[in-house]
Amino acid sequence: MSLLEAKNIKKIYKTRFGGASVEALKNVSFTVEKGEYVAIMGESGSGKTTLLNILAALDKATEGTVILDGMDLSKVKDKDVAGFRRDNLGYVFQDFNLLDTFSLEDNIYLPLVLAGKKYPEMKDRLDKISGTLGISEILKKYPYEVSGGQKQRAAVARALITEPRIILADEPTGALDSKSSDELLSLFKKVNQTGQTILMVTHSTKAASNASRVLFIKDGVIFHQIYKGSNTDRQMYQMISDTLNLLAGGGER
Amino acid sequence: MKAGFYPKMAVSGMRKNGRLYVPYLITCILMVSIFYIFHFLGFSGVMNGMAGGGTATQMVGMGTYIMAVFATIFLFYTQSTLIKGRKKEFGLYSILGMNKRNIGRIILWETFIIWMVAVSLGLLSGIGLSKLAELGFTKLIAVPTRYSFSVSGSSVVTTVILFAVIFFMIYLNTVRQIRFADPAQLISAGKSGEKPPKANWAIGILGLVFLGSGYILALKIKQPISALVWFFIAVILIIIGTYLLLISGSVIMCRLLQKNKSYYYRTNHFVSVSSMAYRMKRNGAGLASICILLTMILVMLSSTSALYTGEEQCLDARYPNEIGAFACKYGYDETLPSQGEKLDEILKTAAEAKGAEVKNNYTYSVYSISGYFENSRLEVNLNSLTDMAFIDYDKVAQIMFIDDDEYNRVFGHDVNVNPGEAIVGTAKRVDIGDTITVGDVVFEVTERFDDKVAEIDPMATGAASPTIYLIVDDVEATAREYIRYSDYNGEPMLAWFWYSRFDTGLDEEGQIALAEELSGKIKEELNGKGFSNYYCESHEAERGDFVSTFGGLFFLGILLSIIFLVSCVLIIYYKQISEGFEDQARFTIMKKVGMNSEEIKKSVNSQMLLVFMFPVIFACIHLAVVLPIVDKLLMLFGLFNMPLLIACALVCVLICGLFYAAIYKVTSVAYLKIVSSAE
Repeated sequence: MSLLEAKNIKKIYKTRFGGASVEALKNVSFTVEKGEYVAIMGESGSGKTTLLNILAALDKATEGTVILDGMDLSKVKDKDVAGFRRDNLGYVFQDFNLLDTFSLEDNIYLPLVLAGKKYPEMKDRLDKISGTLGISEILKKYPYEVSGGQKQRAAVARALITEPRIILADEPTGALDSKSSDELLSLFKKVNQTGQTILMVTHSTKAASNASRVLFIKDGVIFHQIYKGSNTDRQMYQMISDTLNLLAGGGER
Repeated sequence: MKAGFYPKMAVSGMRKNGRLYVPYLITCILMVSIFYIFHFLGFSGVMNGMAGGGTATQMVGMGTYIMAVFATIFLFYTQSTLIKGRKKEFGLYSILGMNKRNIGRIILWETFIIWMVAVSLGLLSGIGLSKLAELGFTKLIAVPTRYSFSVSGSSVVTTVILFAVIFFMIYLNTVRQIRFADPAQLISAGKSGEKPPKANWAIGILGLVFLGSGYILALKIKQPISALVWFFIAVILIIIGTYLLLISGSVIMCRLLQKNKSYYYRTNHFVSVSSMAYRMKRNGAGLASICILLTMILVMLSSTSALYTGEEQCLDARYPNEIGAFACKYGYDETLPSQGEKLDEILKTAAEAKGAEVKNNYTYSVYSISGYFENSRLEVNLNSLTDMAFIDYDKVAQIMFIDDDEYNRVFGHDVNVNPGEAIVGTAKRVDIGDTITVGDVVFEVTERFDDKVAEIDPMATGAASPTIYLIVDDVEATAREYIRYSDYNGEPMLAWFWYSRFDTGLDEEGQIALAEELSGKIKEELNGKGFSNYYCESHEAERGDFVSTFGGLFFLGILLSIIFLVSCVLIIYYKQISEGFEDQARFTIMKKVGMNSEEIKKSVNSQMLLVFMFPVIFACIHLAVVLPIVDKLLMLFGLFNMPLLIACALVCVLICGLFYAAIYKVTSVAYLKIVSSAE
């Protein structure tokens, strides 16, 4: 059975007074296997962030179901949604979403504190991952004191510390310079190699070429997908570029 | 540029910031109308010709000045918080090509419009409410009410001019703030990443020292006269201490809580402690202001209400009998005892001629000398008193010599004192040993009659400085020992006081008429004989003055409290609104990370409750500490009733507490709405 299964997802936005409606997602279906590293690519406005929000239970689909590890997201009660997200999903945002009132350490602890974990356990978990993420030295600093790359690594730590079933990343390299982007991508790869499932939304070819599979989304539908297989990053990059050219050329499937 | 452009810009700018400007405008209107009411009652002369209205009118006149000063400070403060929120807007204007003069014109129009609206609506409501205030005022000070309605032109003009000046100063200040900033700076104002506050131990300790010394001062003071001197110093110390402590101490507290891992890393504490630590530095000052305002309200209301309700008691203490007469002469001469007898006879004859039946007659004379009392010794020698600045007012005392025969005769006792001995009594906590030395004369203390001092002087406990009564064998001989002392003006230190008080059995008007007649008789007798002071008063005639004074004070207390409370509300409101917008983003993140609305609500509540409770608890502690010194001050008015004061304080705390809780409820709802509107 797949870890994540999205079936016939449709999302329609209505303007407030029932005027024109916008169909952000038309009919999206795909699966993610455990341990996979999947990238979803698409232009701005293609519906990829909407899709990710639905997968993260931040938004509800108009139609269709999302099943995570056998649990139907639409069946989770409203008041349990936050807890569900906290326990099962790790989210990495484009703009980090770190709280400026907390030190990096406390930012990372936040989901665990909300889950009611004890301090020694939290510390253990952080000690295990902080070395890999290269943030051991800056834990006591505040978000405004560190670089974007460091902030994003702290955000990854926050996502990882709950040992989630899947990590959802929304344009994780979008606010980073190229060096920090490279570092983050290699970090993701490392994390994936430990068996962590990652689903990333991006429009950066470079970022997508790191993934083991890339889905292309356009105008609210999955347009195409390519597997990396035994190809190198460079070859993957070429394949993605070709697909994007095809997409931009208005080609048909 | 097109005519009407600037006014239009000004109006639309304020409308867009309605959430901030509407409360500001309401406060302005309220300030204007209350100032008008104060001025109307205090200066316009509506109260002229009302018996007993004089003192109360003076009080309200004083309130007018307080109001003017407070309005200036507070409107300045509010305006500067308002403009902080709009810097970005002005930055945008200037990027779009407006120069500073254009922006200045927009601000000028804004200020002008606010002034216009505030003054016109404020005057309207002030005039409307003035009759109501007048009714309440006349009721409180118990004078007959007029049934006509009037508007005071001079009050209107003064109000218009005062607020024109205040708003002009505000305008200049705003322009100054805008002028010294470049557009990029303006546009990024409020967005710059803020450092988390460091715990500043030095300031915290300094605050503790200030607060502690203020407290000690307030608690240490024993005598009303020193209370008068030290009260303001204590108040200033406490205010400074509160500011320093709330600004830094709260950060320190939060830091300590954060160090305690098992406390800090808990769902309920985690978010609230960290965000409190973060904003305490900025809001410490706001919280301290709220705390100080609350304390002022509580002190003002409890003291004035205690005075007002205890009015009859003060009156009885000050005038124990229906008629009271007094004469005083400095120095010594042999004719004084016979002068006393003669006065007594004049009074009694005149009283009986008026049909009075003299009862409870206490007529006696004492010799008095003042000095510096220490270790059972009164220092009369003046060299030690030349430098007034170094006087410890707690140690200034007055000695009263009374003859044992006279004491027995007037107060119906049977004491006998030998030469060189004295029976000593004082209503104050003054330490007296086995002997008491006055000047160079030593008296052996054979007995104490502290519990009977009130017979001689019912006001003894409330006297500005301690009074020590010495019953001696021969008061004339004793007095002669002190003829040689004189003060720095060359006036004799020794004084002869003559008291006479008695009941008459006449009705109220008869008493008042009698007192007036007796005043005349005393004047006739003593005029030109070198007496420094003499008068005759009646209990009834003074009641009006007491009610007027205390009623005026109470009225003042109520009106000022209203203004202070409203200011409190506004500070709190702005605090919550601005924090709400700040926290919006924060709570959105927390929602994404996995906090549900229930948890958010809980965290908001615990955080707000703490922030709200802080100033109230502080204010109550302040009140408790200041209450004893307030009690001493009330003694100067003749109110010796600590339980009454405490009761009044409790009622005031209750009323203010309820009001405060209501504000808390309203603002927390507004805050939650803002916070949860983020999606």
